[in-house]
Amino acid sequence: MDTKDLDARSYTDLLKGYIKTQDERALYGAEQISKSFIKNNILPEEIVNLHIQALLEIYPDLHELIQPSMNFLLEAMISYGLAHQEYQQLREKQLELRSEIHLAARMQQILLQSEIPQTDDLDIGVISVPANQMNGDYHHFVRGKDGSINIAIADIIGKGIPAALSMSMIKYAMDSFPESEMSTNAILKSLNRVVERNVDPSMFITMFYATYKPDSGKLFYSSAGHEPGFFYSSKANRFKEIEAKGLVLGVKPDTTYSQYELELNKDDMVILLTDGVTECRKGDQFIERDEVLEVIRTYMHLPAQEIVNRVYRHFERIQNFQLKDDFTLVILKKVV
Amino acid sequence: MNLQVQIDEGNNGSVVHLSGEIDVYTAPKLKDALLPLTKQKGTLLEVDLTHVNYMDSTGLGVFINALKSSNEHECKFKLINLQDRVYRLFQITGLHEIMDLNSTIRGVDE
Amino acid sequence: MGSQSYVTIMKEWDIVAARQMGRDIAKNLGFGTVDQARITTAISELARNIHLYAGEGKVCFEIVESLEHKGIRVLATDNGPGIRDLSQVMEDGFTTSGGLGAGLPGVKRLMDDFDIESEVGKGTKITTTKWVR
Repeated sequence: MDTKDLDARSYTDLLKGYIKTQDERALYGAEQISKSFIKNNILPEEIVNLHIQALLEIYPDLHELIQPSMNFLLEAMISYGLAHQEYQQLREKQLELRSEIHLAARMQQILLQSEIPQTDDLDIGVISVPANQMNGDYHHFVRGKDGSINIAIADIIGKGIPAALSMSMIKYAMDSFPESEMSTNAILKSLNRVVERNVDPSMFITMFYATYKPDSGKLFYSSAGHEPGFFYSSKANRFKEIEAKGLVLGVKPDTTYSQYELELNKDDMVILLTDGVTECRKGDQFIERDEVLEVIRTYMHLPAQEIVNRVYRHFERIQNFQLKDDFTLVILKKVV
Repeated sequence: MNLQVQIDEGNNGSVVHLSGEIDVYTAPKLKDALLPLTKQKGTLLEVDLTHVNYMDSTGLGVFINALKSSNEHECKFKLINLQDRVYRLFQITGLHEIMDLNSTIRGVDE
Repeated sequence: MGSQSYVTIMKEWDIVAARQMGRDIAKNLGFGTVDQARITTAISELARNIHLYAGEGKVCFEIVESLEHKGIRVLATDNGPGIRDLSQVMEDGFTTSGGLGAGLPGVKRLMDDFDIESEVGKGTKITTTKWVR
């Protein structure tokens, strides 16, 4: 009530002053008061009423037709007042929702945390950034008893909350497999059965699964319809698409997958990604897959984590800092 | 971007002509148009993608859904005239091996 | 409890008659200009809902007095289709008339007390009161 009366007083004073001098200072005062009105939830019809009262105080003999005209204005403001109140309410609701999603996103992050294994063989870098708060991309690293390193990268159709929810399903399914004892194609086969049974008919998941065996220096891998990654051969100084056939998870219950292998030598690199990387848009134009490789080439002398960070920053900037899709990039660099 | 859906119903089935982009925003519209047609037993459902220049994974999801539903209802489901960029999506995901696709059109611009 | 008067809503111009009657009562009770405008807008909204969705109904006015204060009670009744989901129509941002108009949440904001009863196929009864400050 206090501020309201205070505003009313200063409104009248400012109006008085302005009518006399018509200088900019009074108008600046009006701007300040306007902000105070908003802050104190003063509705437009109340402001019109304030104006009427102020006029009557300054001009007790106000022309008798001015007042009804002001009442007319007041009436016309009522709906704006309502719209403003509704807007305030919706804004509060939005903040509530946002903090709820924020909590869910934090939970998801904790759930999906996957520590990068430290090995003498491989330098591993990973970055995964959701377009909105919840991530529809998935990746994890699991170390086997024999020293092998298992790497999964997956993309759940769509993004946001529905994708994030089905992601926990994969996470728990995979936690129940004895991963380090299974071949990469057997893992995809088992996972496909889980996904096929559980999801909505239009839902599917793509996954690339790889196991690196330090003894042989070989990478074994299988793909379930996942965006192909790249192999960089240091000897040839060339990037090559990693080819692997396989149907996406969740479409046919009896799908089988093949396992492929790749020999890694010193300074070779394996690049795994999701389509959020290759489908970056520059304005209306899609980037070409080669563009990703060019950027990687620029930074490939750096440690793996530094490469993925720089590549992300590059594409983040190209897209005006607004990702269209979840972005996940994993780089394995053979160091010995 | 928008998606236009035009359905031509014939004697033994329908041809659905699409034009525009299939993404998160337009996929529900496509699903609503397509799914009822996949439930007509013994018919042939063709989807003409000549004028679809962009499709994302949500679009694939709709076609997977339509494929499952048409198998269930003994309807023949076929995609025709895919542009290169769209065909590549089916290829990467392995769907080209389980779906009836015909991609006579190569990279039509607009 | 005081006197009761009402306006039957059958055509659009009856909305104006309801507004007029409500404003006169509010003015006589000593409501200020702003509150008069708010009460009138609420009446308008209720009467228009009757006109749009029920076709026909009544808006009644009552002067109510409690120990401390006086007020105006507006009762809008119709035998129209009724409202299936009350929580939904009371939600902000939900209006069937395409986003324009204050809707029932608006009426609730403009007045002090608000109550609604509705039965599908039978009709709707809205009771709302504003007190003189």
